[in-house]
Amino acid sequence: MNEPIIEVENVSFSYRGLNVLSDVSFSVREKEFLAFIGPNGEGKTTLIKLLLGLLKPDTGTIRIYGASPEKAAHRIGYVPQDVAINKSFPISVLDVVLMGRLRFRGRFRLTKADREAARKVLSEMEMLGYQNRRIDDLSGGQRERVFIARALATDPDILILDEPTASLDNAGRTELYAILKEINKSKTILLVTHDMMVLSSYVSSVACVNQNVHYHDDAEITEEMIQNGYHCPVELIAHGIPHRILKTHKDQP
Amino acid sequence: MIEALQFEFMRNALFAGFFASLICGVIGTFVVVNRLVFLGGGIAHAAYGGIGVAFFFGIPYIVGTLGFSLVAAMVMTAVVLKAKSRADTFIGVLWAVGMAIGIILLDLTPGYNVNLMSFLFGSILAVPSSDIWWMLGLSILTMAATAYFYRDMLAISYDHEFASLRGVPVNLLYFLFIGLIAVSIVIIIRVVGLILVIALLTIPPFIAEKYSSSLLMMMVLATLFAMIFNLTGLWIAYTFDLTSGATIILVATFGFFISMAVDFLLRGNFSIRQD
Repeated sequence: MNEPIIEVENVSFSYRGLNVLSDVSFSVREKEFLAFIGPNGEGKTTLIKLLLGLLKPDTGTIRIYGASPEKAAHRIGYVPQDVAINKSFPISVLDVVLMGRLRFRGRFRLTKADREAARKVLSEMEMLGYQNRRIDDLSGGQRERVFIARALATDPDILILDEPTASLDNAGRTELYAILKEINKSKTILLVTHDMMVLSSYVSSVACVNQNVHYHDDAEITEEMIQNGYHCPVELIAHGIPHRILKTHKDQP
Repeated sequence: MIEALQFEFMRNALFAGFFASLICGVIGTFVVVNRLVFLGGGIAHAAYGGIGVAFFFGIPYIVGTLGFSLVAAMVMTAVVLKAKSRADTFIGVLWAVGMAIGIILLDLTPGYNVNLMSFLFGSILAVPSSDIWWMLGLSILTMAATAYFYRDMLAISYDHEFASLRGVPVNLLYFLFIGLIAVSIVIIIRVVGLILVIALLTIPPFIAEKYSSSLLMMMVLATLFAMIFNLTGLWIAYTFDLTSGATIILVATFGFFISMAVDFLLRGNFSIRQD
């Protein structure tokens, strides 16, 4: 097994006296595809912001490639939640992706190479034809691809996505996961999702976040995880009926 | 209108309108996309405190107003960055306190009485040439800062979290740009008055936003709209002997409704873009 690239040890974080995360420990290895699941408001986005260095843990340490999150931020490509972004902003698709070319701790000068790099990731996301369109003229799925392109434009080793499928229909989700699967061949992916139905077919490990983190080195969703991660397991399982969430038992013929 | 140009005051009014449009088109674009209109209003009103300070202590007008507004702007920025949810309340307090300080200090200043109406509506038809030079300098400063920081400001305005992850000094640039907003407001208030500053900062960029695919295009369009409103307003005010600042604002408002009507006819719906 290769060395862990993300190490989270005994991390706690509280906000206005409320414990959001307590004593969280887990590690992530290279090329892993890890999904964070758990109920709303129970620390998934907070955990991501801690990994990005946007928030500081009260106690505990986070190491990314052996360095602090702030020092490692340039190796992480971040895809924030769609709802967090001002939708009426007059900005073209290309300009959004060019944000990913903002250089880490240096003056930003837009070069021809930057534009070429931005166009390259846009064409990988099959969005090159939309480069001059205004971002709010796109559909939710197209916008999500643009945000992934922006994250990829930073040339990251790790890609972190916060609920990328929230505004997508089923076809859009399947398409997006196929794209991520492809990206996962060369990059480590961390993903926050509510979307249990496609989990088992794409991710390599699952972590339930509900103040604590229960990490599973396997894409299997166990009863214990559901009990710990969700308050309402029935709804969750009903949600996944057309798809298989639980793996077949290993001891079956 | 043409024969009016033989008067120096009319030429100066046109220059003042031109530079005010340029500065407000660029700065107003940042104000509108960053939802800083209320903060802009707060700075503009707090500037009256600076007038009081300047006259009471006998320091030059421009030093008093600029200093007072910059301090108020920096305090407001710090609150916006630290406690965004309380920012509107805090700006409202500074807004009122600034004006109250100005009024009390002017009460206490013997023998001088600044006309509050000229602070509110300005006197674009009585602009001295020295103010034109101030505005020219400010236009150059605004455009140079915008050109230099364009990509950073675009990133901060669109997604400040992502920008800070990419190593953009988000807070520093916020202070810098709100400082620039404060300087612009103070200098333009002297020429066109407080109400017209707020109108020029908001109405032209708001119309331009709908038709722009980039921040740069929004700045250019907002500047053009502001210039058209200024020229038309001045011409109407001159012809019918009306208050120029208020006329320009009503022309701008009329322009806004025309743009709504055109959108309605073209697309069959009102398209105020929303979050």
